[in-house]
Amino acid sequence: MIFREVEDRDLIAKARQGDVEAYNLLVSRWEKRIFNYLLRLVSNREDALDISQETFLKAYQNLRKLDDPARFSAWLFRIAHNEAFSLLRRRKPESELSEPRPRDFGGRLLPIELSLAVESALKVLSEDQREAVLLKVYQGFKFDEMAEILEIPVSTVKSRLYTALDLLKATLAPAVLRKGGLA
Amino acid sequence: MSCKLEDRRPDWKSYALGELDARARQEAESHVAACADCQDELAGLRVTLDAMATLREEELPRRIAFVSDKVFEPRWYEKLFLRPSFAAAAVIAAAILVHAFVRPVGAPTNATAQVDTRAVEARVTAEVTARLQNEMAAAVNTAVTKAVAETEKRDDHRTALLLSASDRRYSDAADFLNKQVTRIYALNTGAGVR
Repeated sequence: MIFREVEDRDLIAKARQGDVEAYNLLVSRWEKRIFNYLLRLVSNREDALDISQETFLKAYQNLRKLDDPARFSAWLFRIAHNEAFSLLRRRKPESELSEPRPRDFGGRLLPIELSLAVESALKVLSEDQREAVLLKVYQGFKFDEMAEILEIPVSTVKSRLYTALDLLKATLAPAVLRKGGLA
Repeated sequence: MSCKLEDRRPDWKSYALGELDARARQEAESHVAACADCQDELAGLRVTLDAMATLREEELPRRIAFVSDKVFEPRWYEKLFLRPSFAAAAVIAAAILVHAFVRPVGAPTNATAQVDTRAVEARVTAEVTARLQNEMAAAVNTAVTKAVAETEKRDDHRTALLLSASDRRYSDAADFLNKQVTRIYALNTGAGVR
């Protein structure tokens, strides 16, 4: 009900005038989505939290540069994307040493095991592919919004996403079907 | 068996991800009803997406919040120009001044009366616009204040509930522990047994 009473654009307008409480309310609406997107992307809770804070700080400092408040979500995810890839580039040599491998789940897949299988399968994807899956499957963005966030053509968005889905299907579908569906 | 449409088969990934328009969606659904190959492909995608949906969102280890900091606050003149009513009034006032001082040389004298009429109209428009925008800003301000207060109230209530539940759990655990200790003592000393 609270979300209908005050729209994001009203909070953005107030925050632009220096109203920190209005901005905190805006943060409380978006922090969980941003944190989970970053958590799956960088695979580390502390890093994900640090980048989430940095993302919201940068968003506050640059709120006046946001041309269209209706595009706030794509704009916010664009900042989070930049911050995350800045970190991923810095720690690249370290992560290249340990290539993740998909785990083999032997028995019947319980919900927790299925979640672990999904986490494991996501980690096998490249960062670009994983991010495409996160934005589409878990954040529900449309192809054109993803293109805006990632600053790439829609055709590239689809290519990354489709390759990722083929890889995930190859890993997850046989495991689920072999064990007689979702537990 | 392979799909008879070959390269023209529906884009099942876009379909499963909800990106097809209504017409393409309907065509795809008509086709899949009679194509075993496409049924398999779609089933595999659905199983994959269903499996992915089991991944739950995680809670933040701690909430993100900002406190007011003068460094990041807009300066007084920036605040003024961030108000649409002030910005509009300032632009109109500037336009009137420019028009008054830079009007064409040798213009007919009755132009003065015309300019004044326009200036009055512009001023009235600006005042009405400013008043409306002030009222809108006040309404938004009230709504935001109310929303913030409600959020804080809800958080306080949730914290109180959690504390109360925690107290109850602690009390139950203490009772259970006391009973266990009494029972063990009774067993060891023979007191109260049978």
